Amino acid sequence: MAMRETLEYELTVNGEAIPVRARAEATLLEVLRTECGLTGSKRGCDQGVCGACTVQLDGRPVRGCLTLAANVGMRRVTTVEGISTGGALHPVQQALLETGAVQCGFCAPGFVVTLDAMLRENPHPTEVEVRHGLSGNLCRCSGYVKIVEAALRAAGAKP
Amino acid sequence: MSSAIEPLGASIPRLEARDKVVGTARFVDDFVRPNMLHAAVLQSPYAHARIRSYNVEKARALPGVRAVVTGADVPVRRVGGMLKDETMLAHGKVRYVGEPVAAVAARDAETAQRAIGLIEVEYDPLPAVLTPDAALAPGAPILHEELASYVRTMEGGSQGNLMWHSRLVGGDVDTAWAKCDVILEGTFQTQAQQHAYLETNGVLAEVEANGRITVIAACQSVHHVQTRVADELGVPMSQVRAQVPRVGGGFGGKHATNIHSIAAWLARATGKPVKLILSRAMDMEMQKSRHPSRIRLKTGAMRDGIIIAREADITLDGGAYADESPNVLAFCSLMVRGPYRIPNYRVVSRAVYTNKLRAGSYRAFGNPQATFAGESQIDELAAKLGLDPVELRLKNAAQPGDRWVGGQTLHTCALRECLTEVRAAQKAAPPLPPPAPGRKRGVGFASTTSISGLMGTSASVHLRADGTVALNTGCVDIGQGSDTTMTQICAAVLKIPVERIAYAAQDSDVSPYNWKTAASRSTYMTGRAVQAAASVVRDKIMEHTAELLECAATDLELRPGGKVGLVGVPGKEVGFKDVAMRSLFQSGGPIVGYNGLVYDGEKFDPKRTLMERFAFPNLGVYTFGAICVEVEVDEMTGRAQVLRAWLAHDVGKAINRAACEGQIQGAFSHGLGLALYEQLVWDDDGRLANPSFADYRMPGIMDTPPQITPIILEFPEPSGPFGAKGVGEVPLPGVAPAIANAIVRAVGVRLKQLPMTPERVLDALEAKTP
Amino acid sequence: MKFALPETLADAVALLAEDGARCLAGGQSLVAMMNARLVSPSTLVSLRAIPGLDRIEIRADGSLFIGAMAQHADVARLAPRSPATALFAQAAGLIGHPAIRNQGTIGGSIAHADPSADYPGVVVCAGATVHIAGRSGNRTVSAADFFRGYYETALQPGEIVTAVEAPAGPRGGSAHYEKYSLVDGDFAVVSAAVMLAMTNGRCTAIQLAVGGGAAVPVRVLAAEAALVGTALAEADLAAAGRKLVEAADPIDDFRGSAAYRRKLIPRIAARAVAAAKQKLLNGHA
Repeated sequence: MAMRETLEYELTVNGEAIPVRARAEATLLEVLRTECGLTGSKRGCDQGVCGACTVQLDGRPVRGCLTLAANVGMRRVTTVEGISTGGALHPVQQALLETGAVQCGFCAPGFVVTLDAMLRENPHPTEVEVRHGLSGNLCRCSGYVKIVEAALRAAGAKP
Repeated sequence: MSSAIEPLGASIPRLEARDKVVGTARFVDDFVRPNMLHAAVLQSPYAHARIRSYNVEKARALPGVRAVVTGADVPVRRVGGMLKDETMLAHGKVRYVGEPVAAVAARDAETAQRAIGLIEVEYDPLPAVLTPDAALAPGAPILHEELASYVRTMEGGSQGNLMWHSRLVGGDVDTAWAKCDVILEGTFQTQAQQHAYLETNGVLAEVEANGRITVIAACQSVHHVQTRVADELGVPMSQVRAQVPRVGGGFGGKHATNIHSIAAWLARATGKPVKLILSRAMDMEMQKSRHPSRIRLKTGAMRDGIIIAREADITLDGGAYADESPNVLAFCSLMVRGPYRIPNYRVVSRAVYTNKLRAGSYRAFGNPQATFAGESQIDELAAKLGLDPVELRLKNAAQPGDRWVGGQTLHTCALRECLTEVRAAQKAAPPLPPPAPGRKRGVGFASTTSISGLMGTSASVHLRADGTVALNTGCVDIGQGSDTTMTQICAAVLKIPVERIAYAAQDSDVSPYNWKTAASRSTYMTGRAVQAAASVVRDKIMEHTAELLECAATDLELRPGGKVGLVGVPGKEVGFKDVAMRSLFQSGGPIVGYNGLVYDGEKFDPKRTLMERFAFPNLGVYTFGAICVEVEVDEMTGRAQVLRAWLAHDVGKAINRAACEGQIQGAFSHGLGLALYEQLVWDDDGRLANPSFADYRMPGIMDTPPQITPIILEFPEPSGPFGAKGVGEVPLPGVAPAIANAIVRAVGVRLKQLPMTPERVLDALEAKTP
Repeated sequence: MKFALPETLADAVALLAEDGARCLAGGQSLVAMMNARLVSPSTLVSLRAIPGLDRIEIRADGSLFIGAMAQHADVARLAPRSPATALFAQAAGLIGHPAIRNQGTIGGSIAHADPSADYPGVVVCAGATVHIAGRSGNRTVSAADFFRGYYETALQPGEIVTAVEAPAGPRGGSAHYEKYSLVDGDFAVVSAAVMLAMTNGRCTAIQLAVGGGAAVPVRVLAAEAALVGTALAEADLAAAGRKLVEAADPIDDFRGSAAYRRKLIPRIAARAVAAAKQKLLNGHA
């Protein structure tokens, strides 16, 4: 087996520069969870299907499990830990609580990160737009209904 | 949260929801320990083979590897449910592709994985059987050659590859057939579905210097895990501690599994903490699936629609190990008659060993298979008799006072109310815009039933020095919300806000016993224990107060906010804190309430039903429900989609309304996957062809109807906590038959095999005689 | 594994000369394969830092130049200024899920050549040209010649796709990409890409390719020629459908049997044509 290359680089995560030392093939999900101590992003399938690993790169939702950490460069990484600031919940987080959408919670970080990006780009989505925007996030507990209610509530529309 | 909120029925968010949405909720893979090792598992490449030899030298020699264990290193200690046929690692032979054969602990996951690749195992392949028919054919290769010597908790008729068989008989079907005006017969088949919880199975095991093991497991019962690890390691339970963090879904797939013992073994061998988190592929290949089934069903009725007989022959494909198959078989048999007043029935059932992944518990537990057959045939019967399918169901529906199969009395039964509710809701719903050309729509119904009363549980409530309360149960919250529900029940009994209750995490060292989170039993069973334990505390508080106020306890009333006062005298009251301090420092001792019970409902009556080899001691507390779906079928592709769904269930009392709704909607989504989309697929060598989310496709948000309307009815269950009973599973079984019935209405074809993929629908459309 | 981030195409090509080296575009297929331990590159050459590789240009004549590193999300946002642009944009918007589209690239997608993916059929339908760079220099290959088999393309070892260039499509025409999959976001069981122009109710030009119908996209020029001059009525489309099925050799897998795919090919193709026709009637591409 070829010698494994360990790389050293810096990632900008939730506004903070974090030094990283990891194998070249480490995914962003792996590095966030083990090097940066940010375990909010979850590993569900390692194939980019379930969305539990969703983080933002320069504000756009991407799959942490399909992103090579070494390839992130200077792009700003935002994880679920960076969504609420100063102790106050993001409207999306607050709405998920209020509608009873949160069951096991494993999918929640992925939904929060995706909804934050969605509402920044489209502050008043229709229900159809919400569903399309969430099409890449799986939830095995809820049947999605209350999640959509939460998204619309967070957007200020009638739930 | 204001203390004025009445906890009963309040849709308060999960207690731990905030942690979940900010990402600080901790699941097993979020834990790290100093010097933690990572484990990897070697899986069998064969569906059936003898293990001839192992060579682990290269693996052991790899730098960073700390321990290697094979099946040969582990003394044979067979574990399992009713039939103990499994070992921690394969011993002597392998019985399914993917079965764990060896395991490694190393300093990092990559090294562990490389070490797995260096373990050499020599196999002598054996012929494999991949279907129950092949397994039962004369001369078939036998999976468990020592079956006769296995320990079993009751006799199941196990022989050859016949894992278990049972019979339920009531009335006299043979005479009844002769009386029927109409008889329908059909064969229904269902597939292997996988739980696909978003968090895979995983464990972190640690060992103390004295050898005592702690496992932190993503599981549905710390007591189960403790028992299994102790059994597999051959140590007393006092040497094993099982804890559970937040769990990312279970659905029946996270009971005690061998990975807990494997990690514990490696922790003991290395003296270091060992983490084993299954990859998605490994979880799908190694854990369990829902039982594939074949049910031959026969239903007979009179011309006026009264159903007088039902007969079922059930074959469940149990996979390579028995696991919960005897219990699933029993429940399937118990449910196949359906929630109807059918006096004559005979159910012959069997579970069969095959060289595939074990089938076991999965939300609704044999009931979806039974209900797909039963509720499809009811509609066929309605069509044959020219009766409306809902009217036919109403005509035959069980009613309060009726007896279930087994003779238990239904104290409440709101099936008719559920059916009329969903029918009315669908009729009243605003009409949808017309379908595009080439698409047809239909409406379908189904009835459903399940239980909540099963096995044992307990709870304790402790009054703290400041008048707040600690609540302690063994009930694991796997996402269904039991932490919150139990707290609400306790709060309701003591009339204090939920914030004044600390709900303890489950830990086998300190949690009072609970069987497991399963069978929709948490609210009903553990809720009863919580209600009773909190009542003991309430009563003791009242006694203390009576002494303090120098009156009789009967002169006192509990007041909201943690106070007890003299009836009719608003100013005269004592706070919980004062009582607590008195108990701790002056008189009586710490105030604790405890309650434990094992399901104590009416037992089965052997005079009413012959129940042979029925793998449940006692169960009950029936919840009923009905579902209505609107389905659209694309005649060009065969694709069926559910547009809207209504599900009505009598939950007795909704302790947390939003949680009930979420359970109903979530159960629907699993039923939808079973009905139309999901299936584990094996190739001819017994290898799983689709052990990944890329190829095992579940319905996502775009495939799930935007409208899944839960209709909650409350007919109090006399024995339930505040009248409550469970709802976690009962919505699931009705989904597939309701969709099948709707497809018949839409395009005139009836599918009797799940999943009802577009290809199968299209084939049926083309085969339809015009 | 080693990781490289070259800043010029020449450097990237030089690095890819090494045995076992692979290039990393969006990573949505490659990293998934690495996670599943299906591939283990000795060196991963990221194309992210090569300037201009993600350039998208819609020319005045409506023809399209899409750099290999252009992400699906960016292609999906293109204004439909020509049938080709409309076709590429619609198809790109149906690839996977939003998060996938924020990283997946056209170069990565077509180099991977999954027969059930969305871009291959689109690229063939549009009669596009694939730009390739390698050690022996730059060259172009027509889309029809680019796809050779299952996960097999005309790329030689060490070569990479640098761009896809497509003519505008029939003047005044419309385009539609019809994707049929079992669940949303999944690979297509069968898909059909069409560009179409009509005058006075008669077809004047049509380009039609089917995905998921064989190891490579299926396009039958004779079927297209036979449709020109017709009103694209049911019988005309059925005849075209038969020709497509004859040319197809669908796979059998758990998403669908070969027989099912054969049934779907003419139906999905007809749906695509009907949708493109409707777009013309509605006055847009």
